[in-house]
Amino acid sequence: MTQNGIVIAGGGLAAQRAAETLRRTGYDGSLRMIAAELELPYDRPPLSKDFLAGELDERMLRFRADDWYADNSIDVLLGDPAAALDTAERAVVLESGRHVPFGRLLIATGSAPRALPGSTGYENVHELRTLGDARRLRGALGAGSRLVVVGAGFIGLEVASTALRLGAEVTIVEAAPAPLASVLGTELGHWFARLHREEGIDVRLSARIARLHGTRTVKSVELDDGDRIACDTLVVGIGTTPATAWLAGSGLDEDGVRVDAAGATAVPGVYAAGDASRPFDPRQGVHVRTEHWEGAARQGAAAARAMLGHPVPPAPPPSFWSDQHGIRIQYLGHARGADRVAIDGDPPARDFTATFSRHGRPVGALLVGRPHALAEVRRRLAATPERTAV
Amino acid sequence: MTLTVHVDEFACAAHGDCAIAAPGVFTIDDIAVVTGEGSDEAILAAARACPAGAITVTDASTGEPVYP
Repeated sequence: MTQNGIVIAGGGLAAQRAAETLRRTGYDGSLRMIAAELELPYDRPPLSKDFLAGELDERMLRFRADDWYADNSIDVLLGDPAAALDTAERAVVLESGRHVPFGRLLIATGSAPRALPGSTGYENVHELRTLGDARRLRGALGAGSRLVVVGAGFIGLEVASTALRLGAEVTIVEAAPAPLASVLGTELGHWFARLHREEGIDVRLSARIARLHGTRTVKSVELDDGDRIACDTLVVGIGTTPATAWLAGSGLDEDGVRVDAAGATAVPGVYAAGDASRPFDPRQGVHVRTEHWEGAARQGAAAARAMLGHPVPPAPPPSFWSDQHGIRIQYLGHARGADRVAIDGDPPARDFTATFSRHGRPVGALLVGRPHALAEVRRRLAATPERTAV
Repeated sequence: MTLTVHVDEFACAAHGDCAIAAPGVFTIDDIAVVTGEGSDEAILAAARACPAGAITVTDASTGEPVYP
């Protein structure tokens, strides 16, 4: 079964970490990566931050130098995405029709942005997922341009922050009563709304889009209260869906592949990691997508170890970070399900820690403007482990 | 002042931000590794940039913490 070697479907962070871990752990058989884009693997977080601001050269985004792949005998197939999985033949069928046989397979095809209904076909509507997306958007943002961001999630808030820095006039349209409320709760969500308003961004909450005006480009966005927001560029950041539709008919989940803690799917020798996967969360007792950078990095490496029969260390608490208006925001643990939030510090001064607790135990924390405090918070959370849900 | 740089190997997720902030100091392998020297400013910028809070900096002569 292993004579066809290992194939990694995907060319993002989870795929890269899997490839690195396989080679570092001593796997010297055939290794292929199937990348949908015409780019060697690169890091996405700067796409909404320094890269979008024009402060980071494209080459700095690459995980490894171009010759690293040849030096490590990794065959990277660029620009030919996985289109189907044939589990009987044990091959990935690419868009071009090419069959790539595998002994073991890692599904790491990531996710794709959700489209805003009614927004397709307009030339000035952008999503931000790929380097190509970021290049196009960068060309559209500039001093005096009017940007409307739909969705006050992390991508939307970061794009808004970067665009403001570039001199754009920015409006954020969010359907929920507060940004990030589903992750952090309403109170902290309102803190984010205040932050962006103080910086000069027009933040519209509980706002629903009635229609988009314009023919080839969106000229204005009409809200359901009748208000119209003039617009040169529209960015949609309303979440992602796993890029796993290509698995239709394979028996694996088309809405994010369910995997165990080591990344194994129900099909022997087939693993999944990153945004395309839904790992089992023993805390909640269900399979959940994480969609965070650190999760993808860890899952890619873990699946590689599992493929080689090595033990996989338990997952640390989820964590992510964001940079908005020059402020470092870091999150660790599980805010969802918390029954209490304690604020320490000075929220108006953009310097505070919010500690989430459940039944009196700290289960998560949000740090704003306090990168120096992260190590201490991590120790504090680790010292009071939460019971695992049954 | 001469600084001593330490990377917490359990916290480091190899984001790579340190190697961008202080390219002569940090190299990214499976985690960030200190492989060279650099200015105090670059080292402190790298420590602050780390999304995982994995970098600590101490004064080499006194052992006093400089960051965090």
